[in-house]
Amino acid sequence: MMEGEMFAEIGALKSDATLELVRPGEIYVRIAPDEIVPFCRSAAERGFELVDLTCVEGFDREGRASLLYCMEKWGIRETLTLVCTLDGGSAPSVDCIFSSASWYERKIRDLFGVDFPDAFDKRRLVLHECYPEGFHPLKKSVPNQPFSPRTAIPPEDEYQFMPVEGEGVYQVPVGPVHAGIIEPGHFRFSVIGETIVNLEVRMFYKHRGIEKLAEGKKPEECVAVAEAISGDESVANALGFSLAIEKIAGITVPDRAEYLRMIYAELERIHSHLGDMAGMLVDVAYPVGATRFTVLREEIFRLNRDLTGSRFMRGAVRIGGVGSDLSHDQIRSLSCFLPDAQERFRDSLKVVLASPTVIDRFATTGVIEPRFIRPLHLTGPTARASGASRDVRRDHPYGAYADVSLPMRMLTSGDVLARFSLKASEVMDSLLMIRACIENLPDGPVITKDSGVPDGYARGIVESARGQNVHHVRVRDGRIDRYSVRTASFCNWQAIQHAVMGNIVADFPVINKSLNLSYAGTDL
Amino acid sequence: MLPVFKNIISRKTTEDISLHDPEFEAVGGDLKAAIDARMRRSLAIRELDSGSDNATEIEINLLSSPHYDVERFGISFVASPRHADLLLVTGAVTRNMEVAVKKTYEAMPAPKYVIAVGDDACDGGIYRGTYAVLGGVDAVLPVDLKIPGNPPEPIDILRGILALMTR
Repeated sequence: MMEGEMFAEIGALKSDATLELVRPGEIYVRIAPDEIVPFCRSAAERGFELVDLTCVEGFDREGRASLLYCMEKWGIRETLTLVCTLDGGSAPSVDCIFSSASWYERKIRDLFGVDFPDAFDKRRLVLHECYPEGFHPLKKSVPNQPFSPRTAIPPEDEYQFMPVEGEGVYQVPVGPVHAGIIEPGHFRFSVIGETIVNLEVRMFYKHRGIEKLAEGKKPEECVAVAEAISGDESVANALGFSLAIEKIAGITVPDRAEYLRMIYAELERIHSHLGDMAGMLVDVAYPVGATRFTVLREEIFRLNRDLTGSRFMRGAVRIGGVGSDLSHDQIRSLSCFLPDAQERFRDSLKVVLASPTVIDRFATTGVIEPRFIRPLHLTGPTARASGASRDVRRDHPYGAYADVSLPMRMLTSGDVLARFSLKASEVMDSLLMIRACIENLPDGPVITKDSGVPDGYARGIVESARGQNVHHVRVRDGRIDRYSVRTASFCNWQAIQHAVMGNIVADFPVINKSLNLSYAGTDL
Repeated sequence: MLPVFKNIISRKTTEDISLHDPEFEAVGGDLKAAIDARMRRSLAIRELDSGSDNATEIEINLLSSPHYDVERFGISFVASPRHADLLLVTGAVTRNMEVAVKKTYEAMPAPKYVIAVGDDACDGGIYRGTYAVLGGVDAVLPVDLKIPGNPPEPIDILRGILALMTR
């Protein structure tokens, strides 16, 4: 029935479309380059969102680049993927239809050399000036090895920020190295007095070539690469990658492993949210409130190490299941910790929310209006605090999430206070979910051994603490041929440019923290 | 008025959390003695992320949290390289960060130390020999000490700083 819905949608978009149901939930449509723009325009009008746009070489034809436009429509469980194999080195731009397409197209231009001649922004994105013109590292013909960088950069090739001019406007450049212990990125504020009238974010300082790094590796070696995407999303990304491989290989993960994965994923969500909440309080000069959350967070890191051997639960998720089973003692210590943590968390929250200084700084600060959600494809707590009830765990359930009833949290004011409160309720939900998991933990093995991964292509979509993470994997001859990742931060970063408008520079840190954007997960 | 007055005279309550980690305290005590002797009681650290996966930043941040609270030992994390004695660098050095890494180091007053924190910072780790990175921190800066780990735990980082201060 559900599939019928997506078929009907596609029929309305293109009556002569040939559909391929690659596997349950994934529908593919082949499309010619000149059909992309009209198709996307009608899709956008019918409420579709661009989830991801990626490029794969040799997907259909050897040596040719294919663009994969992954779309979803709220309320329909299936995703639609348009596959467009290019004849030459250029493609029409859809950045005027889906605003989020701009960054994808700039990225594909840098990494694959595919041009989008009618794009409104043709500046480089991922590869900064030091990379020579014509160097496109994700092409199969380019080996993954050091190259000669450009040392003298001609002035016309230097990065041009969008000019913002007018009486009283001046620029505040910040970064890439910031004052705190955080990741590098450049923020170019245009301000009048203290008020921000424009912000342009320049990222990708941490581009470490994750996608190319994965190529040629065996699937099981690549879990560590997925974990390196973003340290505090290790479980979510290892899971997203493993889901894709398990789909290709047809591996059924044992029930016990699915439950353990869910426990780890929710522990990760809790420590991530606690870190954000503490960070937000520090940024409004309320360290007393922050400390309680920091203490709880450290305890969770220690618990993680006791359960999995790593404070960030690295190596916990494996293809086909989990790395090791939990003993009775480990489960007992986890179930003792939870009710106590819950009580302390609730008490700490009460103290914080009773502070007028906190509320005064949080409320009406950094509002993300609902109108940005679909064009930028915002997900996770950022979207849920701005009136969008979307959560991969519920909309496209995977693993044990299909068995649990997940309360849908949603707030509508879209400000820092909404994001703080939403994360607080999600921490409570996650604590309860872990308790439920322990109570219903099935017996049995924790890993299914795979007997080799056949050639194929699949996508794993998971809900990390930050939102929807999409992992595309293509396997050829038992090795990774293409690994494309789009974390929630990649999309959500673009929202901060709108969230800060009209706010004062001094509120930028708390707005940034409330969005909890991963630089590493965006730059890859 | 009364609540303010009451607040002034009332006994301040602090929460006791069980933070007894004798191993960490021992390392911290030694470090304090070393910093007292060598750095005239204060070691100013600037953290620099040259391309890490952010896990190491979390661990370094936690050094200032109640469980560790390394300010007790004479350590402060400073906002500018101009105020720093020691640079803690995390991650393999990416091409896109090369200039910023060098400029940060150059901005520090001499004498200065550099510690590479984490496997990727030590020798490039999983990124060694790939297009996007130059290698470990020592490909760009003179490194005094390397702390391996993926990521190293807070106590490992403190041990590394102690090793630098006592050699």
